[in-house]
Amino acid sequence: MRGILVIAGKDLRNLFMSPLFYGIAGLCALAWTLVYFLGLEDFARASAMSAMQGGQEGASIHFVVFARHISLVNLVMIFAVSAMSIRLFTEEKRGQTMPLLLTSPVTSTEITLGKFLAGLVGAWALVGVSFLYPLSIRVFAEFDWGPLIASYIGLLLITGCYVAIGMFASCLTESSVLSVVMSLIFNVLLWFIGAMSDASQEPTMAKVFEHLNVGSHFVGFIKGGISMASVIFFLSVMGLMAFLTQRVVESNRWR
Amino acid sequence: MATPVDMIEVSGLTKSYGPIHALHGISFRVKKGEVVGFLGPNGAGKSTTMKIITGSMAPSGGTAKVAGFDVFEDPVEVKKRIGYLPENPPVYGDMNVESYLAFVAKLKGVSGERVRSQVEKAIEKTDLGSVRRRLIQNLSKGYRQRVGIAQALVSDPEVLILDEPTSGLDPRQVAEVRSLIRELRGEHTIILSTHILPEVQAMCERIIIVNRGRIVAEDSLDGLTNRMAGSLEVKLKVARPSAAVETALRAVAGVATVLKTDGGYSVNIQGTGGEAAIEQVAEAAVGARAGLLELRKEAVDLEDIFLKLTTSEENQVPGGVA
Repeated sequence: MRGILVIAGKDLRNLFMSPLFYGIAGLCALAWTLVYFLGLEDFARASAMSAMQGGQEGASIHFVVFARHISLVNLVMIFAVSAMSIRLFTEEKRGQTMPLLLTSPVTSTEITLGKFLAGLVGAWALVGVSFLYPLSIRVFAEFDWGPLIASYIGLLLITGCYVAIGMFASCLTESSVLSVVMSLIFNVLLWFIGAMSDASQEPTMAKVFEHLNVGSHFVGFIKGGISMASVIFFLSVMGLMAFLTQRVVESNRWR
Repeated sequence: MATPVDMIEVSGLTKSYGPIHALHGISFRVKKGEVVGFLGPNGAGKSTTMKIITGSMAPSGGTAKVAGFDVFEDPVEVKKRIGYLPENPPVYGDMNVESYLAFVAKLKGVSGERVRSQVEKAIEKTDLGSVRRRLIQNLSKGYRQRVGIAQALVSDPEVLILDEPTSGLDPRQVAEVRSLIRELRGEHTIILSTHILPEVQAMCERIIIVNRGRIVAEDSLDGLTNRMAGSLEVKLKVARPSAAVETALRAVAGVATVLKTDGGYSVNIQGTGGEAAIEQVAEAAVGARAGLLELRKEAVDLEDIFLKLTTSEENQVPGGVA
């Protein structure tokens, strides 16, 4: 436990003291701001329209503005987390600091969990930045917290998966470029596994792939529902990737 | 544990990287408080052995124990007792010296309230006070190497494993590191590797010479020097070198080779003749009217021992280029 916190603490301290994090956060904010602004425009137009038509049901800010924002955040996080997760293992290998971790009285599991925790906090800090956008609306208007909170829980879970996948990619290689590319491809693959259900002839397999469909799990959160199956699905992806990473770290001692 | 025990016990270590055999059965013991020099040419298997002892690499065969704990059965217990400086100091460029050392101390399990004092001690011992708040990436190679040494010391481990501790340091820093290691002698058990000979002469009580993955000699410095006593090198300076002089020198009992050098001869005497043989060499030179100007017995130093051991080993390799 102590090892986990010491390693995570060091990584986080270095992350938040480096320009890298602020560069990434700044660029993400740039993309989010543009699209958020467009979303607000659409919402204003739609509301005006429904007001003119005298309809009781106005446009929902959650679906017109927030959902769009959240899916963009998700897209950007695939890239941002892939870039940030190089730090977890690839940089340690490049800087030849891995021997220090491997010869310290900490287990491979502690190293892996420490790294995962650091990655998670770093990525969630970015998600936190993105939460400022819907929060700023609150200053001007009332809206229903429920679906927003559910969406953000989904976002936290899915970025957790990206972190675990990025961590796994980064422990495989000493090359930063390869680490980022692998992480991106694994993350994109995660999204496409679900699409296999359409191609599968076997009904059982189609069902299996349906359960592995990240998109449908994530959409469930955006719609405002927290399904236990989805939570468990995301946690399993993180668990699997963390387990694989632990095996790779441990294998450093055996090769 | 009242009696001095074997702090490090290595037996029959082998390591292969695919078809390449890096270690062929290395065995040795190091007593508590001893300073052992691990000597060998580049690629002899020094670093590999050290990596195995520190638990960052698994052997293909054999066992290693530190303070009675098997490196692979109780890795955490072993690692608590070891400070390791790898070939490249494992430093984070984007941390400053102080926070880096505090991180290592915590990682090594130094309890919260002792972290500060341990960091202070390590900084003081390695003389890093003037750069304590600088980022490590901005430090020179010599300072980084010292940060590496400080890192190994910071948890006050019983065993220090230093892989080429003086590489990259300037002569003054080399002298400082050597005196630091001499100071640490006794309270810590130290294994240090190097391919620089004067270094072991200056620091170590015992020397293990490895070559091509095997231990070719293991003894104290005196022991190794004595071992070479069977062979003597005498340098002669003469006024009139000639073929006759050379023949006369060769005729002396025990002389193995006579080499012509600039203004004289280098005579190698084998066997137990010792000083009597030197006397005869002098007589032969005078008798041949060579005009003997100088006769000097060459001290056998570690370098000769080392070269002899490592090259004769090479000759034994079948098909090797001798």
